Amino acid sequence: MSIVPKETIEVIAQSIGINNLSSDVALALAPDVEYRVREIMQEAIKCMRHSKRTVLTTDDVDSALNLRNVEPIYGFASGDPLRFKRAVGHKDLFYIDDKDVEFKDVIEAPLPKAPLDTAVVAHWLAIEGVQPAIPENAPVEALVAPPESKKTEHSKEDGIPVDIKLPVKHVLSRELQLYFDKITELIVSQSDSVIFKEALVSLATDSGLHPLVPYFTFFIADEVTRSLNDLPLLFALMRVVRSLLQNPHIHIEPYLHQLMPPIFTCLVAKKLGRRFVDNHWELRDFTANLVASICKKFGHTYHNLQTRVTKTLVNAFLEPSKAMTQHYGGIQGLAALGPSVVRLMILPNVEPYLQLLEPEMQLEKQKNEMKRHEAWRVYGALLHAAGQCLYDRLKLFPGLLSPPARSVWRTNARVINTMPSKRKLSNDPSSQQPLHKKQIVEGSLGPISLPADLQGSSADSFPAASGESGPSSSSGQVLNEVVSGNNNRRERGDGRAPKASAVLSQAWKEDVDAGHLLASLFELFGEAIFSFAPSVATSFFL
Amino acid sequence: MEEEEIEKAVLAYLKKKGFKHTELALQEEQNNNPSASQTDPDVARRILSFAQSENGPARYHDGYSKLRSWTYTSLDLYKHELLRVLYPVFVHCFMDLVAKGHTQEARTFFNSFREDHELMHLRDLQKLEGILSPSHLEEMEFAHSLRQSKVNIKICKYSYELLLQYLHKTQSITMLGIINEHINFQVAPGQPSSISDDAEVVTLIGSSQDAANQINQKEIRWGLLEDSLEERLEKASGLLSDSEKAEGENKDGDLEENKKRSVEGGKQGNSIKKLKKEKIVGTTGKNARSETNSITMAPRVKPELTLPVMPIEVEHSILEDLRNRVQLSSLALPSVSFYTFINTHNGLNCASISHDGSLVAGGFSDSSLKVWDMSKMGRRVDTSNVQGENESVPSEHSAGSEDGKRSYTLFQGHAGPVYSATFSPLGDFILSSSSDSTIRLWSTKLNANLVCYKGHNYPVWDVQFSPVGHYFASSSHDRTARIWSMDRIQPLRIMAGHLSDVDCVQWHANCNYIATGSSDKTVRLWDVQSGECVRIFIGHRGMILSLAMSPDGRYMASGDEDGTIMMWDLSSGRCVTPLMGHTSCVWTLAFSCEGSLLASGSADCTVKLWDVTTSTKAPRIEDNKSGSANRLRSLKTLHTKSTPVYTLRFSRRNLLFSAGVLSKGI
Repeated sequence: MSIVPKETIEVIAQSIGINNLSSDVALALAPDVEYRVREIMQEAIKCMRHSKRTVLTTDDVDSALNLRNVEPIYGFASGDPLRFKRAVGHKDLFYIDDKDVEFKDVIEAPLPKAPLDTAVVAHWLAIEGVQPAIPENAPVEALVAPPESKKTEHSKEDGIPVDIKLPVKHVLSRELQLYFDKITELIVSQSDSVIFKEALVSLATDSGLHPLVPYFTFFIADEVTRSLNDLPLLFALMRVVRSLLQNPHIHIEPYLHQLMPPIFTCLVAKKLGRRFVDNHWELRDFTANLVASICKKFGHTYHNLQTRVTKTLVNAFLEPSKAMTQHYGGIQGLAALGPSVVRLMILPNVEPYLQLLEPEMQLEKQKNEMKRHEAWRVYGALLHAAGQCLYDRLKLFPGLLSPPARSVWRTNARVINTMPSKRKLSNDPSSQQPLHKKQIVEGSLGPISLPADLQGSSADSFPAASGESGPSSSSGQVLNEVVSGNNNRRERGDGRAPKASAVLSQAWKEDVDAGHLLASLFELFGEAIFSFAPSVATSFFL
Repeated sequence: MEEEEIEKAVLAYLKKKGFKHTELALQEEQNNNPSASQTDPDVARRILSFAQSENGPARYHDGYSKLRSWTYTSLDLYKHELLRVLYPVFVHCFMDLVAKGHTQEARTFFNSFREDHELMHLRDLQKLEGILSPSHLEEMEFAHSLRQSKVNIKICKYSYELLLQYLHKTQSITMLGIINEHINFQVAPGQPSSISDDAEVVTLIGSSQDAANQINQKEIRWGLLEDSLEERLEKASGLLSDSEKAEGENKDGDLEENKKRSVEGGKQGNSIKKLKKEKIVGTTGKNARSETNSITMAPRVKPELTLPVMPIEVEHSILEDLRNRVQLSSLALPSVSFYTFINTHNGLNCASISHDGSLVAGGFSDSSLKVWDMSKMGRRVDTSNVQGENESVPSEHSAGSEDGKRSYTLFQGHAGPVYSATFSPLGDFILSSSSDSTIRLWSTKLNANLVCYKGHNYPVWDVQFSPVGHYFASSSHDRTARIWSMDRIQPLRIMAGHLSDVDCVQWHANCNYIATGSSDKTVRLWDVQSGECVRIFIGHRGMILSLAMSPDGRYMASGDEDGTIMMWDLSSGRCVTPLMGHTSCVWTLAFSCEGSLLASGSADCTVKLWDVTTSTKAPRIEDNKSGSANRLRSLKTLHTKSTPVYTLRFSRRNLLFSAGVLSKGI
């Protein structure tokens, strides 16, 4: 009895046109076939070993056939070992999944990439017996830790002084476990306590926390997905992320890809927090800054990090079907990434977007006050972003504005004095300004009636903007700026249109590009944009 | 009445065998004198039982199962000895059944008792399983040789008597026949031998063990060559002059030197520079001396071959290397530099590294041989020493591909997969062996093929340069190993004797012997001058894949496809101890230059370092075979990132180079 039944021989005989094969012949052939197959396999295994492989390939069988002076079997050549599939309903019947290939597809398929050429790279597998932790070596975590320390004891018994350096076993000390439990408890239960603040400081400075990073990462991701309704918790979690990022002793890069999704959730999720009163805008702002700091910190190691972040954010911003809250998150995220991102990603889209946004903001068209509020929020964010960009542009040309700016610095009172002079300065070129432009500017102001809400929001955003321009400045300076900004605003309140066009043309004169930018922004936002322009002055002396 | 039965049985036997004339004669004779003979009852019984045994293959099955159950229920003290008898009986029962044409019964017999022996003899069983007709028995070398030869089994007197008693008592003629025919008992008086001692009995080899033992009696001079460089260095080191110290200082730029210094410095606990430096040089000098001492303890022998003359400047550079050698021990592990082949598309069959680690050769299944100059790679980014190249290689590689230039030298000429490549000691020649049954000599200076050596009839699995160059040895599927010299296209010696493919070959340190590992699971040592087999090492359970000789010439390590490494004492021909630890094929083995460490590279993606000093020194002092004292230890396992290790090489300064292919599938 052989593994090859005589039926197989009969079937094969029929397939090659021998119909009247006597069963004796089949019976005699069957064992011989099995013997030959085994012989070939034995040789094939030798060839496999000499090719330093542990998986048998068709090439090996071909070489074995060659060794036995048999014509190799053609048509099965492949660089990789064949993938066998188990036949359904059989325990030990396998087949090669050979798909039908459409001839047309083969012809029309683009030419495959040329395979990369063989190369040799070198690295240190070990230096004086110790494996350095470099990407070329197998990660230490992947290694199986030896069972306890029995081995070391054993070698000591032998009386030979050997220091066997065991691979680092990923075990948390009891202290670290306690620490982790305490922190997570604080995050969940008392995120507004003083202890939590201290915990954040500890997370940002302690050096021994690296072993906990994977656990924190997992905890954050887990908690964010579970408790999207719990705004304080989300806020606490984002603070923890920020602290972890600040910690100079933590090597957080490997876990970044796990951290980014929860962060993005807190930035561009549709609904954060349970009630309307929850200030999820604040969380979004905070997270936006977090994202920006991550891009700044790790952008050089992961060169595609910022592009991916930007892509996600632009998607959130430009998808009309998405909620206003998501748009807000997208805009804030992009704005935090810096003025150049705003210029490239937001400004080209501002005009069509505002057309979409406008009906949402008007009392007549959008009855739902909640929605309208959201729309105004988005408008505010957009304004802020565009203003930031403008501010950045104007900052490049501070020469013109420097004299008045210095005076602002010296005394607060002089601001009022210098402002008229500035207006005077700008009045002259305003005569050169084409008249119809002014009309358009004024015309665009018409339909957008500015409710007090917008004033409030832009006023809110202004100190933030100046704060960003000089994060190192003392609070007194910030106050100063705010005051000056308010002064300016008041000024403008009087000046209105003439002054607006004046500053506009001033920029025009300075730089066509920036002027154009300002003009178009002015067209879109009206005078609210000017709250950003004078801050150039304050930035100069910082 | 009994007479008639006997007559019937005899007649039936004669009919069956086709002895017609005898049958007629017998009948005639019976007719002539009907009531003549009076048969001996004992003989009658024999004849009857013989007739019975003739009539069915079931006899084998019954007989064997009875013997088996008897053995298993025998006294514990003698059981392990009696169990050894079972395997040969089993194999021969099976082959007898096949030979008589009872294929079906043979298969059922085989399958029902196969499990008993799978643990020890899996590979043999797999081979035998395929035998299904008498003609296969003739054809298959392994089966043929088994049937031709007798197995030696050492057994104590009492076990032997037990067995005989059982066989006679139960009338199991079939079993008795097989045992008489195929087993040669070496009855030893006294107590049964210990279980651990039966390593030799495990393997059934074709040639009789007697012959192997006889061969292993031959004298072998394992000492090192007279007037070797090490020896000269030792003489010279007595004259360590000031100039040398100055030389040491000049080499500040050498990283390796620096590193070594820091090690030495660390040991001595000093960190102050200028003054101490000279001291340090002094200590390295001492180290070099002490390590050469261990080698000079080996006896000296005269070379049997005429050795090539070494150019003086090469000699100087080697001496320099020897002086700067880092001494390795279980406490000072080597640095390992790993060369990873990428994008090979499953095509790399072998890799080889030159003695200084600067050249890496890869033999591919597309018949090509590619050589990378690692030192050149480093130089382009302005680091000339071997140490510095590692950081710069990736960038260099990308630069190389941008240039559209290959980063390697391509040698084409073979007409089949290249299975082995070896560098000459000076790195100026490469030999490659291929499945096209040729060996080719390439010059790394001219980048050209110089000679094609034809002689083997089948794929050449392995080729190795001798330690002094000029001569080389090859091994092939044609079951021979051959010795060649570079200047002749015909082999100088042909070593025939292995029963299966010769898979690997290695030179002894003194160039007077070569060792070959084979698929017949034995390692043999051959005398280069006479071409005689001088040692047979039996003990592996799979095909031998790698061999390494200790630098003092006393020991040999061999690795097989199961992951077992065995250390052999050349003079006694005995296995010092097996080294267990690898889980897959051991592709490569290398001794460190002073012989204290053994490195092994395996398909399980690890490099293991073994401490071999404990084993090699213990027997020298005490010369006893107690197992625990000279147990070898695994010092360190270095995991690679899914890269099976194809080759290992200790440079003359004891830096370990290794190479392998990154394979994503694992």
